[in-house]
Amino acid sequence: MLSEALLCFGASSTSTDEQDNFEKDDEVCISSIFSDCEDLDECISHAAKSIGLEDMPSYKVKKGNQSDWIKKTQESFYPVEITEGLWVVPEWRTPPDLKATNIILNPGLAFGTGEHPTTKLCLMLLHGSIKVGDFFLDYGTGSGILAIAAIKFGAALSVGLDVDPQAITSARQNASLNNLGAEKLQLHLVPSKKSCPTTDEAIYEGVEGQNSSGTGVISEMEKYDVVIANILLNPLLDFADHIVSYAKPGAIVGVSGIISEQIPYIVERYSQYLEGISVSKMDDWACISGNKKINVIAS
Amino acid sequence: MCQFGDVPQICVQVSLSNGRTVEAQAMASLKEILTRRPVAATIRLTVPAGGARPAPPVGPALGQYRLNLMAFCKDFNARTQKYKPETPMAVTITAFKDNTFEFTVKSPSVTWYLKKAAGVESGSGRAGHVVAGTVTLKHVYEIAKVKQSDPYCQYMSLEAISKSIIGTANTMGIKVVKELD
Repeated sequence: MLSEALLCFGASSTSTDEQDNFEKDDEVCISSIFSDCEDLDECISHAAKSIGLEDMPSYKVKKGNQSDWIKKTQESFYPVEITEGLWVVPEWRTPPDLKATNIILNPGLAFGTGEHPTTKLCLMLLHGSIKVGDFFLDYGTGSGILAIAAIKFGAALSVGLDVDPQAITSARQNASLNNLGAEKLQLHLVPSKKSCPTTDEAIYEGVEGQNSSGTGVISEMEKYDVVIANILLNPLLDFADHIVSYAKPGAIVGVSGIISEQIPYIVERYSQYLEGISVSKMDDWACISGNKKINVIAS
Repeated sequence: MCQFGDVPQICVQVSLSNGRTVEAQAMASLKEILTRRPVAATIRLTVPAGGARPAPPVGPALGQYRLNLMAFCKDFNARTQKYKPETPMAVTITAFKDNTFEFTVKSPSVTWYLKKAAGVESGSGRAGHVVAGTVTLKHVYEIAKVKQSDPYCQYMSLEAISKSIIGTANTMGIKVVKELD
């Protein structure tokens, strides 16, 4: 009960450790994390009073650094074998198989470490779809993992789009870790538009985002041989026509980041644009892919 | 007791308030007890629906137990797509000693929804005497629909949930009217 009260009064999170030594079971320890500006004493006394505790519980304040938890999470990254001969390796570890295709990553604070089922599904789709010389679009690039993988599989050009500036920074760093310069891997920060694209002229004309290498490049419509969007259900539904418009007729379009129960919605939405739709699943996650219909009528 | 594989199932007859009887199986909880993984900690926090990022508040809270941040964020975001974006969701995460985890998500409390619908910051200090705000029956119905997808409300009828919401509104000093003028 105290945890919930603390949360109401300003804690960003509380955690209770399980006690396995039973000598101390009259004392429960709850650690809470507060952001810097909170007045701890006031918060804790409000919380205690609200649930009827008479005395103030004793508490210790420990100031934590941002880097503490970042370091701890990084320690848990190990190389991952996606499929035979394809590994994703964190920057600070050595690749187990130097002859395999290794994607070196420093995920930082962006999505896409290679461990998640959807990343694996998309990497496998990419592996089977990319032909030498293809153009690839990564819609929602995160750490850039898919864009980098595409080049390694033989694509001539990868373009990564994301709404999160942190993602663009991480992706740029990861590209250089794999020795990929701006001519092979372009990254664009796009403004996040919550409104439906059909009401927004700018998006249909071609997105002019801030290119990190300084040249003003516009992502053209109908230019890409493979388009993958590994994001979430709602943007996949809202921006379906936008995502598909980047693909050449007959190109492969793949979408993921969805759980099994969301599959019907995606299939229904995308069946007006794609034919030969196939669904691949891993755990409770799915990746849906198809080929863009040759004559597509934009809705 | 019915045997099913090597985990015994207990079949119970449950009578619902609308007169129907349903067979519920208590297998899930028995199995859990038999194969329970050692728990390291229970973490509670509030995260906006669809907005989990590997940054505070999620980062520090999960990072200290070495849980996979990306996996949690992806999972949480995908599962909260059905809620209005940025709605503060109450998450309870059970971290196991082997660095794996499970979590349950609850939609915001009924009081939060009522306050939002009435457009007020807090309920009335003297419920029954002072009215803090007003909501319509339509609001109650919409809130009931959202609450029905909460783990503990799934077997309740919309009518039952709505009655409970109206009851909460009364204790908060929020009036429920048929329509707003």
